[in-house]
Amino acid sequence: MKRALAAVAVSIALLWIVGIASGHADLLRVLVTGSIGSTFAIEGTLLKSVPLLLTGLAVVIAFRAGVWNIGGEGQFIAGALAAFVAAPLGTIVAIVASILAGALWASIASLMRAWRNAPEVLTTILLNFIGIELLGYCVNGPLQEASGKYPQSEAVAASLPQLGEIHAGVALALIAAIASWFLIYRTKEGLRLRATGFNPSAAHYAGINVNAQIARGMAISGGVAGLAGGIELLGVTHRLFERFAAGYGYSGIAVALLAQLHPLATIGAAAFFGALVTGAGELQRAANVSSSVATLGQAVVILVLILFGSMRSRTS
Amino acid sequence: MIELAIIATVPLLLAVEGELIVQRAGMINLGIEGMMLTAAMTTVLFGFFGGLAGALLIAVLFGVFAIRLRADQIVTGTAINLFALGVTGFAYREWNDRLAGAVPHVDSSAIAVAAWIVIPIALALMLWRTRFGLRLRACGENPEAVRASGYSVTMLRWSALIIEALLVGTAGAELARTGFAENMSAGRGYIALSIVIFGRWKVKGVLLGSALFGAAAVLQYALQAASRGVQFHLLLAVPYVVTLLILCGIAGRVRAPEALGK
Repeated sequence: MKRALAAVAVSIALLWIVGIASGHADLLRVLVTGSIGSTFAIEGTLLKSVPLLLTGLAVVIAFRAGVWNIGGEGQFIAGALAAFVAAPLGTIVAIVASILAGALWASIASLMRAWRNAPEVLTTILLNFIGIELLGYCVNGPLQEASGKYPQSEAVAASLPQLGEIHAGVALALIAAIASWFLIYRTKEGLRLRATGFNPSAAHYAGINVNAQIARGMAISGGVAGLAGGIELLGVTHRLFERFAAGYGYSGIAVALLAQLHPLATIGAAAFFGALVTGAGELQRAANVSSSVATLGQAVVILVLILFGSMRSRTS
Repeated sequence: MIELAIIATVPLLLAVEGELIVQRAGMINLGIEGMMLTAAMTTVLFGFFGGLAGALLIAVLFGVFAIRLRADQIVTGTAINLFALGVTGFAYREWNDRLAGAVPHVDSSAIAVAAWIVIPIALALMLWRTRFGLRLRACGENPEAVRASGYSVTMLRWSALIIEALLVGTAGAELARTGFAENMSAGRGYIALSIVIFGRWKVKGVLLGSALFGAAAVLQYALQAASRGVQFHLLLAVPYVVTLLILCGIAGRVRAPEALGK
């Protein structure tokens, strides 16, 4: 907790310095007012936090099984595509479809690992690209809007119930975080998962089928990332387009690290990055400063946390 | 058309050659994407050598974390990509006027010849015909053995990283010939990573892989121009699917360096 807060402090300090150095002294102020300064801003932050929370959870769950899931981007897209196709059958079916599709997409990687020992670090990256091209194909081809004007789909047939700007996905994401915590810390499955991630060979001698356990972890992780894609489609964008995933899969790694790989802390971490992204959007509109400062902030948080981590492992 | 493909593939190919060396030395540098992007920007700002310096800077960042601090390479690489994307995106908006123009540049056809002929030969000789190359590859297979025979894995990996930075810096410079644009590396770093696998960590293999990926990319533009926009995305997915199959050993035997990523 201390380290996470320190990393956040360092990244804020750095953004402040960047602001001063580039002649935008009010950079931090705009970031804050643009993310939590008004009801509208807070709604924006909440909406941005949802996909970050879910892709962050996906990384946390896979990590507990000993795997870095960097395939979040592809699973996010798989989830959204499935949700779009299933939407005529209703919102609930669409949500379930997004979870299944994400799990399935992630399972391709675990199958290849179990079958041919192909490292999932490589296979999940490749699956991201296949997902991106598949989405590109769909919105230029079979799923393109009837007018054929833009490379985007029609509006999706179902959507999440909304309260003002806020959609029910906010609640779903929070439930997912609590459920992940319960799964990891309060069930036998979670114990096996943690044992596998902590020490695979010890887990093996304790009678755990390590490959199967990792595969289940990856499937759950992929399911959560897929859910993120489904919610984003049904609650926010309502359409598919080429750059739909927008890097959420990779940002999930930053979220998970800031949360120190704890499912409940992921809520706070996602809220922080959600605020950063939303504030940075306002920064670009109001002060003509690039919204990339949000990306920079994410990178600095990760790097500082690695630094702290290595310091601890040296002193202990 | 073929000439166009050969020239257009040069940045990708240079990146592939850099990543091949690094992976042979046992590291996965995902940050190659950010390295290329940074080099592209520093080339436009400070010229060709500025590009090399930009790539070296990112290499040092990766090395400090991944080699010195033994941080997870995947996480470090991801952070570096976000970092480069953030910094260059920010700078682009601040200094738009300085970054939009074309840069006076070294001879592209010379670089193309180097990338396609000279460097691959040099690389193959270095990796398989010199002691240095043998030790480098040993770092990727069994670092303990390298240590036991009295060589420094740290130094060898740093040298691999520096060679990669020089190659990727050139790639970035080549990319920025007509000026800088936000996120202009556009995933080439990740593609380079895939091609190294596709080429089964061999020089001949990665040359073939780069040629195929390059051809697919050029074909895509041709198809787009002929406004058959639908199929080119599927075409672009094919190399990745093939790479996946290769990883599964379907299209021939494959063995990754034993200590890759450790």
